[in-house]
Amino acid sequence: MGILELFQRKKTPRGEATRVELFDDEFQRKLEMLALVSRRVFTGRLRAERRSKKKGSGVEFADHRDYVPGDDIRSIDWNVYRRFGRLLVRLYEEEEDLSIYFLLDCSASMGFGGGQKFDQARRLVAALAYVGLANLDRVTIVGVNDGVPERLPTTRGKGRIFTVFRFLEKLRPGGPTDLGEALRSFAAQHKRRGLAVLVSDFYDPAGFEHGINVLRFEGFEPYVIHLVDEREAAPPLDGDLLLVDCETGDEREVTVTPAVLTRLKTAFADYRSNIEQYCTGKHVPYLAADVSTPFDEIVLRALRRGGFLK
Amino acid sequence: MMLTGLPLGTLLAIFGGAAAFTVVLYVLRLRRRPVAVPFAPLWHSVLGDRDASRLFSRLRRWLSLLLQLVLLALLAFALGDPRPTGSLGSGRNVVLLIDASASMQATDEKPTRLEAAKAKARELVQGLGGSDRALVVQMGDVPVPLSTLSDSPSELLQAIARVKASDTRARLGRALELAGDALRGAGRGEIVVLSDGALPEPSPPPDLGGARLSFVPVGKSGKNLAITAFSVRRYPLDKSRLEVLAEIANTSTERAEVELSLWGDGAIIDSERLHVEPGARLSRFFSDVGGTRRGLEARLRYADGTRDDLPADDRAYALVPERRRARVLVVTPGNTYLEAALLLDEYLDVTDVKPSAYPPPGRFDATIFDGVAPPPARDSGGLIYLNPPAQGSPVKVGKAISEFGFDTWDRKSRVLRFAALGDVQVAAGHAFEPQRDDKVLGASDDGPIMVAGTRSSRPFIALGFDPRQSDLVLRPAWPLLVLNAIDSFSETDASYLSAYRTGEVWRVPVQEGAREAELTLPDGTRRPVPVQDGRAVTFGERAGVYKLATGAEETRLVTEFAANLADPDESQILPHKTLSVAGKVAPPPEPGGGGVRRELWLLLVAVALCLSLVEWFTYHRRITV
Repeated sequence: MGILELFQRKKTPRGEATRVELFDDEFQRKLEMLALVSRRVFTGRLRAERRSKKKGSGVEFADHRDYVPGDDIRSIDWNVYRRFGRLLVRLYEEEEDLSIYFLLDCSASMGFGGGQKFDQARRLVAALAYVGLANLDRVTIVGVNDGVPERLPTTRGKGRIFTVFRFLEKLRPGGPTDLGEALRSFAAQHKRRGLAVLVSDFYDPAGFEHGINVLRFEGFEPYVIHLVDEREAAPPLDGDLLLVDCETGDEREVTVTPAVLTRLKTAFADYRSNIEQYCTGKHVPYLAADVSTPFDEIVLRALRRGGFLK
Repeated sequence: MMLTGLPLGTLLAIFGGAAAFTVVLYVLRLRRRPVAVPFAPLWHSVLGDRDASRLFSRLRRWLSLLLQLVLLALLAFALGDPRPTGSLGSGRNVVLLIDASASMQATDEKPTRLEAAKAKARELVQGLGGSDRALVVQMGDVPVPLSTLSDSPSELLQAIARVKASDTRARLGRALELAGDALRGAGRGEIVVLSDGALPEPSPPPDLGGARLSFVPVGKSGKNLAITAFSVRRYPLDKSRLEVLAEIANTSTERAEVELSLWGDGAIIDSERLHVEPGARLSRFFSDVGGTRRGLEARLRYADGTRDDLPADDRAYALVPERRRARVLVVTPGNTYLEAALLLDEYLDVTDVKPSAYPPPGRFDATIFDGVAPPPARDSGGLIYLNPPAQGSPVKVGKAISEFGFDTWDRKSRVLRFAALGDVQVAAGHAFEPQRDDKVLGASDDGPIMVAGTRSSRPFIALGFDPRQSDLVLRPAWPLLVLNAIDSFSETDASYLSAYRTGEVWRVPVQEGAREAELTLPDGTRRPVPVQDGRAVTFGERAGVYKLATGAEETRLVTEFAANLADPDESQILPHKTLSVAGKVAPPPEPGGGGVRRELWLLLVAVALCLSLVEWFTYHRRITV
């Protein structure tokens, strides 16, 4: 290597540069660590085995039912027949892969303030997806806003994590938030129910509960990760201003005073508290993810809290 | 109430313009800075029904506008400099005469008497009443007003700071005349003299215009030694040797043992210890001083090494006249006495020619015609005629006379200086008939026998007899007369002025044809000086060595001269506690009016400043926005 080459800036494609920032080697090492931790958290459980409510061909007995023509005669419980004279078929809990849907809010508010919320969200999704892939779960990632959702087809196996990276890198925040409509569309497209991890700042003019309710009512198991940026509660504003909503473009004249900023801080805390209380009331796991907290710490908190992996 | 600043009409115009501009700025809709927020509904919940443009907010903006208009009105009114009518004309008018003479440089007051006087002047200014006015005058040889008759303390204090001491005497009479003129018709006038009291009483007493004269004494002691005279000259017949005169004085009240040293070109030449009685003067000659080319300096101090209170008169300077070889042409058939006289001065380049060989090539400073009077050549210099014939003589040759002598002669003439002519006997000669502008240097009872004058811009000296027909050639007066005449033409005057006196107008000879000159003062500052009649004219204020430059850059000629205080009165620094003018003793100054100034504009500006602070506070606390 010549001496001049030491000072030459290496030209890299924009996507790779982003990957260096978002999912660099350090990030990947942490993912490995998280995968190991997840195994310790779920010690005693069979790897890649999830008991579903469906009865089927698993190994663990679940129930009996009457024999009907067409049933596999190997499943007839002959002991019961001998004792009660009835033909009953053994039912087992069917073991199947867990489907995990990551629903990433891609509205403009997620990119507000330099995009730290969106970056944090993408890291969290990548990390949790890796944990899921490492446990041989079926992972699907959907970027939702008010338009056509971006979707990473269902995949599994931790070797697919780079596909996940590439998908997440391509996502860009923009447009208004309408979680209710977007998730209704998602539910219609995905018949297989499973864990739906909703990662959002829940700045939805229609109300944050709509999106969560859609998931609940459509039979998904919602898991809420609330992206929080405390700087939004105390913006460095002062004086006569014209506030413009970054998603809707709504304008509002305001004179910002210390008193107004204090009330804003209270309102921000109330809004966050309302989301948490709502989720708790509906037995929906809730996790607040601050942008200033390292992503691996948030993931560990999610794993220890439970609800993410059954 | 009267406006002493801008008139009312102007004030209203200024206020109207500024107020209109301010109102326009307030009427214009406030352009708010757009700021993006991530979720506007959060702000909606915070702001509720509050509206930045609602009526109450508008009223608060109008309150702010009102505040601004009041602010403008106050400032506009301040520009008018309003004064209560009663205060005008009732105050005192004070002239502060601050002595800036040489004696005020004495260090018995720390750091100097002048600084002590300035401090007292500042106290007086700060004690002036609200309607009092004052004028600051620097009192030196010429009184110099340094301010106007002003009521502004800052202007007066700045003027006091500009007072500088000079090496001159203070002339109280001139300063009092100036003060009297300044206060004439002003009412309640007072003249305050701040001085050490070493001031000659003015005669006749000046007209003070009814003003009260008061005196603030400065100074504690008067221990001083002074060099009151210092001069140097070359010996007329041996110009390589010098004679130096120094006069010293002891102005203190005790007998002093002093050391007087003479320095030449920076090296000590001679030193002597002397005892000087109190109040006495002592002259000391340093004779036969040689080896010095230009500068001489006398230094005086106590023999025990202590310093007196006035260092300014402890040194004196003198410059030795430069010597230049004079070129002399002698047109003579042969004259042993003349040749002998010219041999006495080694700095003469003498050329002898026979009358038939005249004129020879070359330029000369002087030409001596011995018994002949041919038409003078262009570069002949000054002309000396010895017994000229009627044909060609510059002055008309009159009747023949015999057995005569110098019955009268001009003893002040530089040509006849040191020459004793009373016993000279002449056998035969002629009397001259000089023209009106000619000057008779010597005459017998029968008529003028020695005449000086100018013909065709060329100076001449004519002697009406052949020196060999007299006993003049056997006397010392003969070579003196010849050499003095040559010196007068070649400008190497034995009585060259070795030092000027400060406090006088100096007229320093400069290069012929020079129209302006640049003077470099002893402290290194330079200033142009005018040239009149071949002499640079300037008023001398500082002692020391000066440089005078004339001519263009390439042909610049720099001459040096020295100046000394040399003023026994100024060296008499014993302070006086009283000052008498016209037989009246001046009392201390009248106390001031307590320093209460009735300048309303200051108050108005202060109120405007307070309002501005209130506006600033209410704006930043979001009270008026």
